Amino acid sequence: MGHGGHAIGEHTTAKFLGYTFNMDTIYMTWLAMAIVIVITVLAVRRIETVPRGWQNLFEMAVETIGGQVDSTIGPNSRKVAPLLITLFMFLLVSNWLGLVPGFTSPTNDLNTTLGLALMIIGFVHVLGLANKGFVGHFGHFFKPHPLFLPINIVEEIARPITLSFRLFGNIIAGEILIILIAALLPIWFEPAVGVIWLTFSVIVGIIQAFIFTMLSTSYLSNSLKDEHH
Amino acid sequence: MVELNPTLFAQIINFLILLYILKKFVFGRVMQAMSDRQARIAGNLEVADRERSAAEELKREYQEQLAQARTQAQAIVEKATKLAEQAKDDIVKEARAEHARLLKEAQEEIARERERAVADIRNEVVALSIAAAGKVIGQNLDAKANAKLVSDFINKLDAQKIGGIQ
Repeated sequence: MGHGGHAIGEHTTAKFLGYTFNMDTIYMTWLAMAIVIVITVLAVRRIETVPRGWQNLFEMAVETIGGQVDSTIGPNSRKVAPLLITLFMFLLVSNWLGLVPGFTSPTNDLNTTLGLALMIIGFVHVLGLANKGFVGHFGHFFKPHPLFLPINIVEEIARPITLSFRLFGNIIAGEILIILIAALLPIWFEPAVGVIWLTFSVIVGIIQAFIFTMLSTSYLSNSLKDEHH
Repeated sequence: MVELNPTLFAQIINFLILLYILKKFVFGRVMQAMSDRQARIAGNLEVADRERSAAEELKREYQEQLAQARTQAQAIVEKATKLAEQAKDDIVKEARAEHARLLKEAQEEIARERERAVADIRNEVVALSIAAAGKVIGQNLDAKANAKLVSDFINKLDAQKIGGIQ
């Protein structure tokens, strides 16, 4: 189970306009983006009434995530469904990318996961303000009682942190374990455990992408629902 | 190991670019295709529903017509039977009438014949009697006065008895 060749958690950095960027993360992100784009474009290149191949797979993802989003958010879900479906596909590809020897997951960098989480929180507030107005949107900080304001603020801060650390921790732990299995186990025992752990990581990749997407959906639903806060 | 730097913003921008590309080239088409398909399936189902109810309506109509045809056939058969019955009655009645008429005619004919026969016999008897009387008396009376004499004589006899000759 070869792995990039660099230590986990350390990134190849580059300076651009005086700012430091983790170039490996960015390259892997571009790769993940490219994969998502290629798959989806392949899927819709020749749209057929009876879906086949990539189209079928893609429509399955759209149906699954779109259905969840629809049932959570309701009539306004059309506004955010593309965002959440894209998020799911991007995270899934990113999570799985680290399982390919020589590649790393963009999601093993907190910059990615926290960035996405903050972006979601940003969408929550922008959409909330647009949908409910200032009082309507920020009013929920004072519910059920103004004394709850500090707790609500802590919750608001905790959201992007928990969202990003959950994904980051799961993915980096998976990659660390892959390296540890390769490094520590005797050579005759390594493939069996490695295969088991890889299989497990594939499932973790799906689950974490799904959890991130679903939590984002539930955060967004508060800003888009008209009733019931 | 966990350090934040401007990569965070780069990642947000990367994701937004991906979202933009997918929204522009993919989602419109796939959503359109899916809603088209949904509409088509719903349309097909509706058409099937409509056609099925039309078929049921047709079936009901046919059954009604069949029942009607049966009733009509029954009525026709009944009517035909009645007509035949009536025709039979008429024929029998006519035959009876004919029979009676023929019988009556025959009887009348017979009666007429008998009367004529009686008359003939009487005339014969008169002529014979006159001839006999003429011979007996040996003188020839006026034939007309003689005939009257004998005819009166015979008329005085019991008509019933003469009728019984036959």
